[in-house]
Amino acid sequence: MRKHLIVGVAVALSAAVLPSVTASSANAASAICTAPNLQAAGGMDALVKAAKAEKQLNIITVPRDWANYGEAIDAFQKAFGIKINDDNPDGSSAYELQTIKTAPASKQPDVVDIGITHTGAEAQDSLGRSLFTPYKVANWKDISTDWKDANGLWYGDYSGSISIAYDSTVSPAPTKIADLTNPAYKGMVALGGDPTAATEAFTSVFAAALANGGSLTNVQPGIDFFAALKKSGNFVSVPATGANYASGAYKIALSWSYNGPGAIASAAKIGKTLKYVTPSDAALIAPPYVQAINAKAPHCAAARLWEEFLYSQNKGLTSKTITTADTKLSGSALFAKLQGGQNIWALGAAHPIMEAAMKTKGTLVTPPAGFEIPKGQKTYSPSFDQVVAARDVVNKNWATATA
Amino acid sequence: MKRSLTLYTTLILGGIFVFLPFGSAAEFSFRDGGANKHSLKAYRWILEQPDFVHYLLVTLKLTVIAVVITILLMVPTVVWLHLRAQSLRPLMEFLTILPLVIPVVALAIGAQSAFPTWLQSTEYELSLMFAVLAMPYTYRTLDTGIAAIPLATLTEAARSLGANWFNTIIRVILPVIRSAVIGAVFIATALSLGEFTLTVLLHWDTFPTWVTSISQQNIVGAIALSIFSLAAAFLILIILNFTIFGARTKKVEE
Amino acid sequence: MPETVEVEIKGATSRGTLNRRNLLVLLPLIPIFVYLGAFFLFPMSRVLFDSFKSNKGEFTLENFQIVLHNPYRLAFLTSIKLGLVSALTAALPGALFAYLIEIKGSERIKKLVSSLSGVLSSTGGVPLAFMFIAAIGAQGSATTLLKNLGIDLYSGKFTLFSFTGLVIVYLYFQIPIMVVVFTPAVKALRNEWHEAATNLGATRFNYWRNIGIPILFPSFAASFLLLFANGFSAYATARAMTVGNVALVPLQIGSLVDGNIQVGGANIGKALAMGMVLISAVAMIPYLVIQRRTRRWQS
Repeated sequence: MRKHLIVGVAVALSAAVLPSVTASSANAASAICTAPNLQAAGGMDALVKAAKAEKQLNIITVPRDWANYGEAIDAFQKAFGIKINDDNPDGSSAYELQTIKTAPASKQPDVVDIGITHTGAEAQDSLGRSLFTPYKVANWKDISTDWKDANGLWYGDYSGSISIAYDSTVSPAPTKIADLTNPAYKGMVALGGDPTAATEAFTSVFAAALANGGSLTNVQPGIDFFAALKKSGNFVSVPATGANYASGAYKIALSWSYNGPGAIASAAKIGKTLKYVTPSDAALIAPPYVQAINAKAPHCAAARLWEEFLYSQNKGLTSKTITTADTKLSGSALFAKLQGGQNIWALGAAHPIMEAAMKTKGTLVTPPAGFEIPKGQKTYSPSFDQVVAARDVVNKNWATATA
Repeated sequence: MKRSLTLYTTLILGGIFVFLPFGSAAEFSFRDGGANKHSLKAYRWILEQPDFVHYLLVTLKLTVIAVVITILLMVPTVVWLHLRAQSLRPLMEFLTILPLVIPVVALAIGAQSAFPTWLQSTEYELSLMFAVLAMPYTYRTLDTGIAAIPLATLTEAARSLGANWFNTIIRVILPVIRSAVIGAVFIATALSLGEFTLTVLLHWDTFPTWVTSISQQNIVGAIALSIFSLAAAFLILIILNFTIFGARTKKVEE
Repeated sequence: MPETVEVEIKGATSRGTLNRRNLLVLLPLIPIFVYLGAFFLFPMSRVLFDSFKSNKGEFTLENFQIVLHNPYRLAFLTSIKLGLVSALTAALPGALFAYLIEIKGSERIKKLVSSLSGVLSSTGGVPLAFMFIAAIGAQGSATTLLKNLGIDLYSGKFTLFSFTGLVIVYLYFQIPIMVVVFTPAVKALRNEWHEAATNLGATRFNYWRNIGIPILFPSFAASFLLLFANGFSAYATARAMTVGNVALVPLQIGSLVDGNIQVGGANIGKALAMGMVLISAVAMIPYLVIQRRTRRWQS
């Protein structure tokens, strides 16, 4: 009888205590999942601890050689011991949102990096709720209000300009977009892809418009430029990939500046010398891509740590210089020692979103040579609406113009 | 056997058409830092990749299952259609050509929205879809092969000679539809080994998708991997052709 | 008194009636219908459903109205043209090649050809595009070789990244598909029939006209239809070889549903997909007419 009483009390006690124990850890877990900033997440030490406990981070459509993302991935993995899974590195923004909407829980990305034009109705579920959860990084105020959601649902990360990439054997070396009509370039000029599907190609057409009498509100001259280039035989309608360059299908391409360092390194491996130059007749800085945290993120702490990392303005250790001793430091100490994402992207020839603030503070690294926009050159940056208007024109006219 | 000039000329011309592109790309895959130096560097790089065997096995496993599904599903169906349900053939032809006509991108979106979570959480979902994607080809192969055989006559002859259904199937039907089945198996195998778009859109990792992600910064390695994939698929089919399917050809010819 | 005689009307069937015999005929077909239904028709019903929805989720016919205009109209025309030209350029050579191999090839050659055709039938996309660029691109191996012999492929307007280029590259998988799908039909054309016909005094021409071609024609037509559908709907290869200069429906669907530029056009893409289904249905009509005629002959 007594034994039963003791067992009964033990069971009752555990029944009373257990729910609150699991509830508090569940609360802790869900608290992080709704934390809208670093403070609510408990500070950097707590965030790093929680992220390490999650062990993984799911990112999506991030090519390693895109804006030096590979370095960001390597540094993060090495510093915090968190494994990064990258779903479909060559995918599209539409793919990212589609994945959030339909993939099973195990395949959900934690964070996305999408084109800014995809932050409208596309980024909502069937009930009109946002797919993202709000989070404002520690350096939130250094992001221009043009390129972030007021509630913290999404925020610009980096942008790029259009460069002319060309093989060193090309002579004379092109310096501006108008040069590309030179008959010496017959069969040499290519675009990154289809302007109705790929942002790089679309922005290239936009840049060509600026160089040929168009404006941020008139993209048709860009389409006409390529139509004329096709007629003269200069434009070769092959996608400007690394493999196609290697096989000599094209020698000159309009390309994102931040694909430069990776492409040049790749070309060197196969014995070719690739060069990049900012066209002197159209320095177009495209609207930035944006980051967002998935509302259904399976690794809430790792997602937030990754965002803080990407928006850190620190100069410091790279994936090659992080030591095991460093990884044993406390979360905030380690974080402070790492090279931040903004500088990692700058080294990839991208324009990090906080570039202006960092230049003022003197915390911006020196970008790689050859990718800077020459001093005094006028730069153009289309607004969201101008991009949408241009997109509709390109969609309607591109195929018939270049047939 | 008369030596046929036509045959050998055709084979040579065909060979040029097939091996010129393949050979040009293969030459590329042997390059070592430029067009003048050649080595096996890219292929050694492939074999050094830690996940190489893992993803190869994943794809092989999914392929085998897809091919088994295809045989079990398609062969009895097409035989039955020809024997007893001729009037339904037009409907089947239309239905089976649809997976070809609907772009994979659209099919993937439909699958993602429609399939239950438990189905989308297993990679065997891919085998089921491979069989669907192969259906236009496998159905056509079986259908055209069986249509040209007087299957109904042969079957009735066998039955009227006293054979029961089991013997009729084993000794009359199966040998006679053999080459059609082999063709269907080959197409289903090759398709499943190389299927890429649907796999990516359904968020799975198989050998073809692994190839793409691993070769992001290694142009020559990427090309070597695609050459390797083609050569490996060819090897698999040759082995199948000379072993499992090879044995009793002489007997059937009599 | 005149006797009433029961005459059995020849050809009368009980088709369409829900009797036991008809149900038994359908029974073995249940697996395929269930399989197709679950893993194909069910996902596709979502696509069909969405093609009638606006971005706000309301029923609309607007998507279908949009795809009747350019640039989608141009894409439909070009895709159909590509399917037809690709099928035409591959069907006859493929059929002749299959016949030649069957009749004159040794066992080993037959096995080699069938294995090779199986593999090549599934080539496509970036690897295939690269193979052709490496061979006949601007700096391709064959281009350089021909240049040394005095022939310049690129002296005129030729480019691999055009409609013509696509037709050439598509041959690489279309002809093998033809060989795989058509060979079993050729195999069934027994040598005995040819001997019997010759013994009965038929010339080669007679044999082909009255026996060979009529027997092979339905299979040829079925294979042709497959090649058309394949060329019409090929996506990966066209994407790897053009930059939107050849307007094709599969590429547009890709841009709308899985791109970086088009936003909010997913349902238009689904309407395009339904358009492709409709075109294939229409393409089957001449084929079904042919089948009906030959079936009458065969039975």
